[in-house]
Amino acid sequence: MALFGSGSNNAAPNQQEVKTAIIKQLQQEAAMANARNLIGKVNEHCFDACIPAPGSSITPKEETCLSQCMEKYISFWNTASRTYVSRVSRESKRLGGAENLAMMATPTDTSL
Amino acid sequence: MDQQLDVSKLSEADKKELNQILTNEAQKSNIQQTVHHLADVCWKKCITGRISSGRLDQSEEACAQNCVERWMDTNLAVLKHLEALRSQ
Repeated sequence: MALFGSGSNNAAPNQQEVKTAIIKQLQQEAAMANARNLIGKVNEHCFDACIPAPGSSITPKEETCLSQCMEKYISFWNTASRTYVSRVSRESKRLGGAENLAMMATPTDTSL
Repeated sequence: MDQQLDVSKLSEADKKELNQILTNEAQKSNIQQTVHHLADVCWKKCITGRISSGRLDQSEEACAQNCVERWMDTNLAVLKHLEALRSQ
């Protein structure tokens, strides 16, 4: 009967479940939003770079360009992220505010 | 799912912890947002030629770094001048 915890009088594990479920959903949605953002930008820039004159169908050359462009954009994003994060942490050190340092040092990766 | 996410079941301590996690996630998301903007702006300035490789070459990498650093300089210069204008 208590297999699914529905009739449980024990509140603690249930609270724990609620908490982890909320955190999990929060992080999933954040990762999803970040990925969607990245994909949108890749689409925009790589369409620009690789399909200058849209033909009646996509060519193998265009497809190769798109794959390369996508990899390049992700590397570019990671470089921008690394540079930005280290600059922000340098600036906040300069201003004496150490409270945000731990946060800023967290790598913001693009992993889906 | 909805039942599982009922916040009213949580204790005060749990709510506080969640609040902290939410604040951290919001900050992370803010940073990512800025990086998306930076990558967008800097890509336009740094990647102008034909794309012939999936890897960033040295000049592109250097351009990306310089672009981000100068963008930050611009940001700070604008703030500094704004401050000067305000105290006139």
